[in-house]
Amino acid sequence: MSEVEVRDLTVEYQTSVGWLPAVAGASLDLRAGQITGLVGESGSGKSTLALSLLNAVPAPGRIAGGTIEVAGVGDLTRLGGKQLRKARGGAIGYVFQASQNSLNPLKTIGRQLLDLGRSHEVGDLRALIARAKDLANRMGLDGDRVLDSYQHELSGGMRQRVGIVFALVLNAKVLILDEPTTALDMLSQASVLDIVRKVHDENQLSTLIITHDIGAISEIADRLAVMYGGRIVEDGPLLEVLRRPTHPYTKALIGATARITGDVDGARALPGRPPDLTTVARAGCVFRDRCPFAVEVCAQTEPELHSFDSERRRACHVEPSTVLTGTTGTPAAVGEPA
Amino acid sequence: MIQARGITRTYQTHGSFTGDRTVHALRGVDFTLPDGGAVSFIGESGCGKTTLGKILTGLETFDGGELVVDGVELSKLRPRQREKYFRRIQMIHQDPYSALNPTRTVEATLGDPLRMRAKETGAPVSAWRERAAELLTLVGLEPAAVLPKYPHQLSGGQRQRVVIARALTVDPTVLIADEAVSMIDVSMRLGILSLLRDLRARLGISLVFITHDVATARYVGDGGELHVIYRGEVVERGLTDEVILSPVHPYTQCLLSAVPVMRGLEEPGPDRTAPTAALDERTPTPGCLFQPRCPFAGAQCAETHPVLVPFGADAVGTDAAEANVTGADVTGADVTGADATEESGHVHACFYPESRRVVGVEVGAASA
Repeated sequence: MSEVEVRDLTVEYQTSVGWLPAVAGASLDLRAGQITGLVGESGSGKSTLALSLLNAVPAPGRIAGGTIEVAGVGDLTRLGGKQLRKARGGAIGYVFQASQNSLNPLKTIGRQLLDLGRSHEVGDLRALIARAKDLANRMGLDGDRVLDSYQHELSGGMRQRVGIVFALVLNAKVLILDEPTTALDMLSQASVLDIVRKVHDENQLSTLIITHDIGAISEIADRLAVMYGGRIVEDGPLLEVLRRPTHPYTKALIGATARITGDVDGARALPGRPPDLTTVARAGCVFRDRCPFAVEVCAQTEPELHSFDSERRRACHVEPSTVLTGTTGTPAAVGEPA
Repeated sequence: MIQARGITRTYQTHGSFTGDRTVHALRGVDFTLPDGGAVSFIGESGCGKTTLGKILTGLETFDGGELVVDGVELSKLRPRQREKYFRRIQMIHQDPYSALNPTRTVEATLGDPLRMRAKETGAPVSAWRERAAELLTLVGLEPAAVLPKYPHQLSGGQRQRVVIARALTVDPTVLIADEAVSMIDVSMRLGILSLLRDLRARLGISLVFITHDVATARYVGDGGELHVIYRGEVVERGLTDEVILSPVHPYTQCLLSAVPVMRGLEEPGPDRTAPTAALDERTPTPGCLFQPRCPFAGAQCAETHPVLVPFGADAVGTDAAEANVTGADVTGADVTGADATEESGHVHACFYPESRRVVGVEVGAASA
């Protein structure tokens, strides 16, 4: 059962050379009770995908095609006005990138909470505050103190938790976190991840975590989706994907993570640089320039995201076994260094 | 060669409501950075590691201790005389997005310091273009493609390479990398780290690596020493791999436990632990600074301040500690005096030292 079903979503941005897709035909399910991790480099379209889950892609962007079915709300891409405002926050809780800096510096957290309640026409504001305090307390904050604080009186990890309180206080069943641990140090990162898992389990949420750090996400996610050049190139159960990555990009991403164990020389950075809107390949596979396994067909036909092993999907022309056993050697064509 | 002995830095703040407050940013840090060597400092936000980096580059003053660069004690020199020493120590900033002037091309960014340096050394000033190209090649960029570009036209990793090239324009012998990879995509970090390692090997540049991400400290090269710094004080020191594999101080163990485990490829360490409370600077800590948050604190910890002692030695350093702790005023010079004789090896400041295995363990069968 899926709480959110994204089908063939295409999001475009207007540029000087016309409308270019930042997300191209992405399909993704957020399953009830599971944490889905969405990883990719800067410019892979992961934040755009997340924002479109609120139907809030900023201008000059637009959702050009596809549907986003949210349980109990319907197709979000067709909503507008008041219905859309109710769905944002009401059905889908969103913790923004750098949410440490997304609080109003002139108002206490409590007053901002009341603003949120009023704009969503919550009748019982006392109950709202009680729920916020309860959420805060369960995340290891002192609810009373936090509501009375201005944002500058809270540490980065505490502000991140306040962001989660705001996202969940209206009983949203879907929680989206955009880069929740970036700019936090290791200890705060560990505690924020801990709390996300706890809040997720306690409230039976469907959670999507967007990050570029495959290491951090692997700690708590159930499913993993990998995004590159606006496409989802691989997804499946997290442990499966990490143990047996079948897309060369997933494999390279895992290999490029600085790890605390294992051989230091075994890890290597991804060659080349991630594509952006203007440089992403128009035909063929978007990853082929940086791919060590690229063959001729990769330049001509774009591989489709197809299911295999029942639970998993991949978009690659090369056999999974080749990707799995082959060495991450020099790619066919190394672009500019990063 | 840089030697720091008992560097202290204290800030006095005067808030209208909070009254006077003394912040001990550094409480007696000492380390030795040999030529071509590498020293890493790890710790959480606010532990003083950035202050240390600023002191080493001359951007910040220190109010106690000695900083000796190539045999010269810097605090005795006048600012003018100091300049040439600090020229040898260059900083790579955390955020490559704000470290470069957005209105200047890479060519302009590199040109000014190169011409200035050429005047100093007496080299022909006109040769700066070749030198700029040479430096960009050294950091792995294509000079012709990058020189005319503005920072916003480059990716994060490329910008950080430009920042490194700019640091190299004045022929430094030491680079200070303050969270040099934390703002960069994970996939690009290893490239920057291997560049730093490469610079050590090829140019003999020594490196001070400041980070909160312990895993990246492993990638800066051989023979690196790791200093774990907590609230301005070094609580554990040793060879990087040794500290990671057998941390002794509970704070180090908490930090290392917080490193995410790559599930499927790694299993959590058997002794994983976490601090019992969040950092509260307002609580007075006459004893061990970490005592209020320590999962293993004993009776002694609240009263006596531990100092660095070698791991495995019988003496736990209480005598020295008692001699040094006079009220709350622990000056760096006193504390570090006790271990000044201990030039290398694994040292820690804990009364109940016990090596624990907290970092993830690689799953044998799986391979990346």
